[in-house]
Amino acid sequence: MTQPLVDRHDVELAALAAAGGRREFGELVRRHGSAVRGLLRRMGAQPALADDIAQDAFIQAFERCAEFRGEGTFAAWVKRIAARLYIKRVAKEARYVAEIESEDVAPPTDHAGRVDLDEALKSLSEAERLCVSLCHGAGMAHPEIATALNLPLGTVKSHVKRGLDKLRARLQPEPAQPLGRTQHVG
Amino acid sequence: MSADEFDPDIERLFARAPALPDAALFTAQVERRLQKGSAVRGLALGVAGIIGGVVAVRETLTVNIGSDDGVVAGEALGQGVRSVSFNAQTAIQSGLDQFGLGSLELGSMSGMQMFWIMAGALIAVAAAGVVRLSQEV
Repeated sequence: MTQPLVDRHDVELAALAAAGGRREFGELVRRHGSAVRGLLRRMGAQPALADDIAQDAFIQAFERCAEFRGEGTFAAWVKRIAARLYIKRVAKEARYVAEIESEDVAPPTDHAGRVDLDEALKSLSEAERLCVSLCHGAGMAHPEIATALNLPLGTVKSHVKRGLDKLRARLQPEPAQPLGRTQHVG
Repeated sequence: MSADEFDPDIERLFARAPALPDAALFTAQVERRLQKGSAVRGLALGVAGIIGGVVAVRETLTVNIGSDDGVVAGEALGQGVRSVSFNAQTAIQSGLDQFGLGSLELGSMSGMQMFWIMAGALIAVAAAGVVRLSQEV
């Protein structure tokens, strides 16, 4: 009896996909599609563009599945492919070199005063957002990002540092209000 | 990633995939593209294989068996084979005519013509490889 696809490990599914298994690869897309699409959106891609690039990344991953050795996670491998495809796309527009600081608007918070990562990323400049996402979302090292974006290493490092500082500030929960002010019982 | 770049809280947030309502649609779209690509590739290879095979068979029959210098020994056997080869050639020729390849005469080409055809094919394959590589890098 064959094991159901949902019970199989990513590495096993990737090996079957490398042998031409489209069903097995479909299971990998089902598992990691949202993560790849989410990363691209966090990098600054509009949803439609993010989905197009994510599709291209998965198609490319299917064709190159034999290259995946299971040294890292499958999701991380596809994310890197997607990130590189997105960089190629924005490089054509030279968007990331433009130092456009977005307005310092406070992102909306939930009931517990927490800020969502996707909302917090909106407070970063495009370059900061891209560098932070490449570093922490796609797992790329600073020199790798500098090469991919054709930027000086120092610039990349400062983008990541400034971006992280902003994110940390945004992601800190607001101090809780005294109970007496919020609870009026009786 | 170096130690000073590492922030476990941020890493954890990035590792959490957003819940997208159209995840199933996205998976279906990728599967459709895989299916389509595979079908087109299979069709192209099949058509190329059939045309190449038919041309190769016709050339073999024309060059080796149809000539008096063929390897077939024995007059009676030679007659039979010639008869079969003639019928096969007629059938194949009509098939090639339908594809518009009836006038293709590889055997009548000079060595230099064949050389340039092969060189052109190799250049096309190399160019396709370079394009593919540039897409991946």
